Amino acid sequence: MLLAGCYSAPDPKSAAGGGPSTLAGAPAQSFDVRRTDGRVDSLAAHRGEVVLMNLWATWCPPCREEMPALQAFARAYAGRVVVLGVDQGEASSVAAAFASERGVTFPILVDESQQYGRTYQGVGLPTTVIVGRDGRVVRGIDGAMTLEQMRVAVAPALAPLAPRRASR
Amino acid sequence: MNSRIAALAVGAIAIGLVLAQDFAPRTPLYHTWQYALALAIAFAVLLAYANGVRRGDDGVVGKRLLVALAGAGVVIGAGLAAGLLGPDTASVVGTPGTVAPIPALGAAAFFAPADAAAVARGDAAVTLRRRDGAALEVGARGRPLGESLLYLEPRPAAYLEAWDERGAHLTITQPTSASFLSPVLLFRQQQRIGEFDVPYDTFATPALHRVFRALYFTPRDLAAFPRAIDDKTHPAVILYAADDRGAQLGITFAPSGKDVTIAGVRVRATLGTYPALAIAAAPPAWALVAGVALFVAGIGWSAAASRRLSPRNRRRAVVHAD
Repeated sequence: MLLAGCYSAPDPKSAAGGGPSTLAGAPAQSFDVRRTDGRVDSLAAHRGEVVLMNLWATWCPPCREEMPALQAFARAYAGRVVVLGVDQGEASSVAAAFASERGVTFPILVDESQQYGRTYQGVGLPTTVIVGRDGRVVRGIDGAMTLEQMRVAVAPALAPLAPRRASR
Repeated sequence: MNSRIAALAVGAIAIGLVLAQDFAPRTPLYHTWQYALALAIAFAVLLAYANGVRRGDDGVVGKRLLVALAGAGVVIGAGLAAGLLGPDTASVVGTPGTVAPIPALGAAAFFAPADAAAVARGDAAVTLRRRDGAALEVGARGRPLGESLLYLEPRPAAYLEAWDERGAHLTITQPTSASFLSPVLLFRQQQRIGEFDVPYDTFATPALHRVFRALYFTPRDLAAFPRAIDDKTHPAVILYAADDRGAQLGITFAPSGKDVTIAGVRVRATLGTYPALAIAAAPPAWALVAGVALFVAGIGWSAAASRRLSPRNRRRAVVHAD
């Protein structure tokens, strides 16, 4: 019953659109939206960095359960991975109050018109998208993740680029 | 002479019927047996005339006109193949801001993001990107691609916004759609109400445990409404609200762009259209170009022969009269 609010049709991955996992390798679309602190932010603003973008909402039970792991991940990977929480469709005050109450320190973007949710083909919440330094989607993951799953998900994006053959 | 004019007229009409597939692609006529029969009859008329020419019925002019009739035959053949044997027109309905792969064309369709204003204007674009990287902007007029014709089909759409009683913006979800996180309803289903087939869609505001069903009425539908409605010049929706256990909570009429409050939720539905990408079978362009060129060239060639022959014919007529 709780999940019914956070997920779409029974087999969403079989429907048109295909869910976030189908976006691997595609250029990451970016939209300017306000953060809860009032500043404007976007995925494009973090080009050149590895980004873990988490689409969530305060009414979504799995999102709330996932939030402590996300906060722990943001702390553990500070300086290596940019974590962006993107609230879907709610008022900034609602998202800010939740973040403050849960001790969330990573930036929360407030996507009132749900542009990120649509574009990243979220078939449910939470949806996590890993974006590489080259601005392309590395992975799209549907559903709540544990800290360990987050570590595994970002590993390919953090792997150093293959060294070029040294020229003589 | 009469049979020549008749054959030319039939050829021209048949070419017009086939070219119509490109210029008026929305007509469902092209996949009907009547359309195929009309083209087949035209082809038979051309064959009958050609047979007469072979027997010498229409002289040099008729022989030269065979080039034109061959051109018409090419166009008719292409039209029959596309109309009768080609697949029925398919529509790709994409959520704004998403990409839909179209393997049959070796391409992907990019459905432009749309806000409330874009839905109201109904001018959102669809771009087709092929594997070779070439981008093709698709418009309302048909755009040929291989043996397909692409065009945009405006469909009813609604951009939704919702707030709770304190004015806090609410997430819109579409639990029964693949576009779960989109506030744009595309009304993919229809419900029969009286004499109307009314497009409908559903959405939810999970934060408040509300589920809504929205029925879309065009201004034409509204004009037939018995009840007094202030504005029948813009589309509107009727919203039914229920809780997430299915208990009915209310019904309201929501004009486009106007806020209405139902079941504790303030809803604004901005109504308009958002395009679907239609893919129709179309005669290959090379066949149309070659066929029409032959048709025109054949007419010109036979007209030249006709002009050259006419003085001699006149002299011959004078000799016979003497």
